[in-house]
Amino acid sequence: MVIISLIKQVPLPNEMRMGDDGLMDRTKAKSIINIDCQFGLEAGLQLKKYYPDARMIVCSMGPGSFEAALKTAVSMGYDEAYLLSDRKLGGSDTFATGLAISTMLKYLGFTKNAKEPFVIFAGRQTSDGDTAHVPSQVAENLGIPQATFCQSAKPDGKGNIIAKRIIEGGYQMMELPMPCLISLTPTGIPPRKPSLVGAIKARHSDIKVFGVDDIHLGTEKIGINGSPTIVAAVANIESERPPIVLSEGTSESALVNSLIVNMKKGGNVLQHKEAKEKAEKETPDFPIIDTRGDYKHILTWAEIANGQIARPSLELFTPARHLADQLGGDTKIKTVLIGKDVAPQAQTLFEHGADEVILVEDDKLEEYLVLPFASIITQVIQKQKPEIVLFAATTSGRELAPRIAVKTGSGVTADCTGLEIGEYVNRKEKTIIRPILHSRRPTYGESKLATILGFVYPQISTARAGTFEVPERVEGRVGVVSKFKPQPAEDDFRARILETVRGAGGLQNLFDAEIIVSGGRGATSDGLKLVKELAEALKEQGLKAEWAASRVVVDEGFAEYARQIGQTGKTVRPKAYIAIGISGAIQHLAGMKEAGTVVAIDHNPKAAIFRNADFGIVGEYEDVLPELIEQVKQGFTFGIEVSKRGDE
Amino acid sequence: MSNPNIVSTDVLIIGAGASGLATAIHLASLIEKRGVQRRILLVEKGSAVGSHILSGAVIRTDILKELLPDVDFNEIPLNAKVTRDSILLLSKSGSIKSPIHPPYMGNQGNYTVCLGQLCRFLAAKAEEKGVEIYPGFAVSEVLYDERGKIRGAKTINTGVDHHGKPLDNFQAGTEIEAKLTIFAEGTRGSLVKTVIDKFDLQKGRNPQIYSLGCKEVWSVPEGNIAPGEVYHTMGYPLNLHEFGGGFIYGLNDNKVAVGLVVGLDTADPTFDVHAAFQIWKTHPVTSKILKGGKMLEYGAKTLPEGGYYSLPKPYVDHALIVGDSCGFLVMPSLKGVHLAIRSGMLAAETALSAFLKNDFSEMVLKEYETAINNSNIYREMYPVRNFRQAFAKGMIPGAFMFGTQLITGGAGFSGKVGVHADADATQKLEDYSGKPFRKRFAGKLDFDKTLTFDKATDIFYSGVHHDEEQTVHLRVNNPAAYHLNIEQYDAPCQYFCPAEVYEIHTDRNGHKELRIHSENCVHCKTCDIKEPGDGITWMTPNGGNGPEYQFN
Repeated sequence: MVIISLIKQVPLPNEMRMGDDGLMDRTKAKSIINIDCQFGLEAGLQLKKYYPDARMIVCSMGPGSFEAALKTAVSMGYDEAYLLSDRKLGGSDTFATGLAISTMLKYLGFTKNAKEPFVIFAGRQTSDGDTAHVPSQVAENLGIPQATFCQSAKPDGKGNIIAKRIIEGGYQMMELPMPCLISLTPTGIPPRKPSLVGAIKARHSDIKVFGVDDIHLGTEKIGINGSPTIVAAVANIESERPPIVLSEGTSESALVNSLIVNMKKGGNVLQHKEAKEKAEKETPDFPIIDTRGDYKHILTWAEIANGQIARPSLELFTPARHLADQLGGDTKIKTVLIGKDVAPQAQTLFEHGADEVILVEDDKLEEYLVLPFASIITQVIQKQKPEIVLFAATTSGRELAPRIAVKTGSGVTADCTGLEIGEYVNRKEKTIIRPILHSRRPTYGESKLATILGFVYPQISTARAGTFEVPERVEGRVGVVSKFKPQPAEDDFRARILETVRGAGGLQNLFDAEIIVSGGRGATSDGLKLVKELAEALKEQGLKAEWAASRVVVDEGFAEYARQIGQTGKTVRPKAYIAIGISGAIQHLAGMKEAGTVVAIDHNPKAAIFRNADFGIVGEYEDVLPELIEQVKQGFTFGIEVSKRGDE
Repeated sequence: MSNPNIVSTDVLIIGAGASGLATAIHLASLIEKRGVQRRILLVEKGSAVGSHILSGAVIRTDILKELLPDVDFNEIPLNAKVTRDSILLLSKSGSIKSPIHPPYMGNQGNYTVCLGQLCRFLAAKAEEKGVEIYPGFAVSEVLYDERGKIRGAKTINTGVDHHGKPLDNFQAGTEIEAKLTIFAEGTRGSLVKTVIDKFDLQKGRNPQIYSLGCKEVWSVPEGNIAPGEVYHTMGYPLNLHEFGGGFIYGLNDNKVAVGLVVGLDTADPTFDVHAAFQIWKTHPVTSKILKGGKMLEYGAKTLPEGGYYSLPKPYVDHALIVGDSCGFLVMPSLKGVHLAIRSGMLAAETALSAFLKNDFSEMVLKEYETAINNSNIYREMYPVRNFRQAFAKGMIPGAFMFGTQLITGGAGFSGKVGVHADADATQKLEDYSGKPFRKRFAGKLDFDKTLTFDKATDIFYSGVHHDEEQTVHLRVNNPAAYHLNIEQYDAPCQYFCPAEVYEIHTDRNGHKELRIHSENCVHCKTCDIKEPGDGITWMTPNGGNGPEYQFN
């Protein structure tokens, strides 16, 4: 038995560091093992409890400075450490990274058919890249099954690994044969501290460093030139909310009354600064080329959850239609619909904007599984040759897209918030490629907006859930249903779903909620009891209210992943958002910035949330909330009118 | 060998401050000269060497030449050489320069230094000499053999809940077995404290007494202060009953270190050193220098000030105590770094002697105390042996007594002057005759967040961090009786703690309870020293926790 962990060293995340002047400093950042990868390391060590004699291997790819991270892994309990380090790898995108790491693993003997069973652990995603692609791409390159976004992994005693995979609104228990790959969310068992004996061992251990040539990896598909995508532009993201109105008063009830008065009066209004017109860079007079060949039309995948088309898949029709219009001609939106008895759902897709539904029905496909779905969608892509493929960035979409991309050789852009058709000026070759997809995604902890271009067709992107509105439904709109029979591959069903559990709340309810009460670390001393009580009180007033949580709170186990607001969680747009004990980490702000009115309650007046809210109370939530709940019970609804939904 | 959680070493040094590193470097040099092989293992609780180091600091540098004879002096990362050294007597808004420089306070030829940076340098030198340094590991327990002799120490168990119960990610602490253990924990060492108690090492000596220093490092506009420009202030905002003073040290790159050090023998149970420090910064002398600047870092630390008569016996079988852990600090100049290094070097020499004789009992280790008494530690500490105790009675009697001590060579007219432990000096509110701190400084306690800062803001600038999952490292010794401290003393910890760890929360019914925010703790240990009644015990949290000082 071999347990392998893949780790990346990243700069200390923004919210955790501070520069010379007290401001965040990106340049002098300390490095840490990416948080999700730390959970992967721990999951490996947990599995070792069942396999005490397992060889513990840790691998990374990056500059020589990454040895520090590998040494830390050894001090936590790993035995062997390998680093793939080569200048030729510089600028690799996720596709190239997945290829390079899997090549190193194969070189070390970890192939699909290896005699000795092995399990690879990885972090769900990194804090600097934030794509969540590499684990899927490593698994695809090795041809082994995977379970991503997992919380735990245990053996079943029969040679399989049982993984608990977090999905929207709940979780799934999956059974995977070995070898397999598991990626960990930071919601499982927190990483252990290194032990002193471990640190002594690490000090005296050698880290094996490989170059590209050592592992027989060609340079064709790696580095900046071999990668299928490039980062074309990076822009700053700035706050759009006017200054806050803070409550005044010396007692809790005075503070709450002040809030009610302030909200009646209305908040501050943003003084719009005249946006500076940036001088458009002159487009040189290069010949325009169209590199699409016979790739045409836009393909989307319709995800089924609880027997319905998942809302994020419907949201996709907004950017898809926009892109189709920009591309012009007769660009069509084709949607792949996979499942058991799902044909009736096609009409929903047409009414939201699909022109054609490619229907794949099979009893075995009742539930989403990455291997068969990746295989089927790839076959559809190969037949249809779409120029753009869009997935919703759900837990399924985010593992499916990269796995398919390895098969098609495409780049993938993760978690986009903007999709536009544009052009690429290639100054070296003196050509302009047009049209080309500009995929915009927040990066560096939501502080920058990067524009990513892919040069291999189809261009694949995943769109962040909640960012785009579901298009108006056009009743009676029709389209074409074409059935597709994929080539079966029994091998694709090696991994099984044992159980799917979806609780109340979660994704769907958060999207539909008029008002969200969200708890952060500062609201956990009672285990979010007051937060839930406030949400309940609002419900009793007849509002569509729901409670949610910040990433830290989810990480600490006070709330399920499905309730997380923020980066890689979800973007919500309720009429009112009540942030309680939330400091306002940048990814959280990204998740709630579309909300109508934001009310913040926290004891720390310096918390960033106060710079991103309309109304606020500085105080202990334990003191303020009982008062606020009382007011809600007497009819205070944060300015939201209770609509009469009175048929029941 | 069967237990994988044990390591053996010849010497274990606990703490990578000036004294611990000096011990390591000097011992490594000595054994190298002798051509013997010995394992020297140094464990530090800060996430890196220097993370928990806080000092003024203006230091005497000759000792560094002795410690590092083969190193070019210019290579040592000192800051600016002292160019100007003044003592200012502050009134509420004015100041006069002391016409004479009090004896024992001169700084000619000394250097300002970022002690953390110096320690990082020393650590690198120690590693070059083969010392193994492991930062990020907290030693929480002294290990004894069946005869009750120290056999080493153990690092803290990690992966436990608030009650110490193991969690899934439990990692047992490592037992470090050592022939010789050197305690270099710094001021009020949490392990040394237990060793002193167990072996009664303070017997026949004064209790140790302390000051608390709060410090900020600022970046100021060019011209506000020159590198090497050094000021010490006396007076405002302290009154004649309070011992202490401020310091302003001009550093290179337009940085300046400012701080206020106040004796913890204050009678007022509500005395707040942090607030006094903020008020001190508003005095024109300081505010002029800080004008237009930005605060970069905040920190706080206690200093052992008891002097010669408060030194514990510095050795027991298999162990030596060095540096601030022992109390080597010379008053009134508040200088301890050079003595810390000296004590480390003397400990190293004693250690070598023990190795050569293969005897780690007191029979050999007592050489350490003899060496101390033949060194500059004694020569500097003995003449001022009664200095601090004199000031325990107030500044005017203190100055008078110090005057008589100068004439008599340190004895004064009464020989050895006794002193109370700081916690015992705290008076009950009803007994305290002066104006309580908040009344005394009413109107001056609103901090503008430009020149003056509340504790919450300041601690943000200490970079402090603690793991959530661990036992709370601050223990109220008698929780059932703590309401007495609230009723009688108004819970002094909520005032003296410079990091807002302790909060008294009043609920709707007026019921008061103590809330401990241990995650704010900057490891100054004032609570362990100053809380009256049954007191508070400071224990070490997980390794790598605590402040993250960069400029100190």
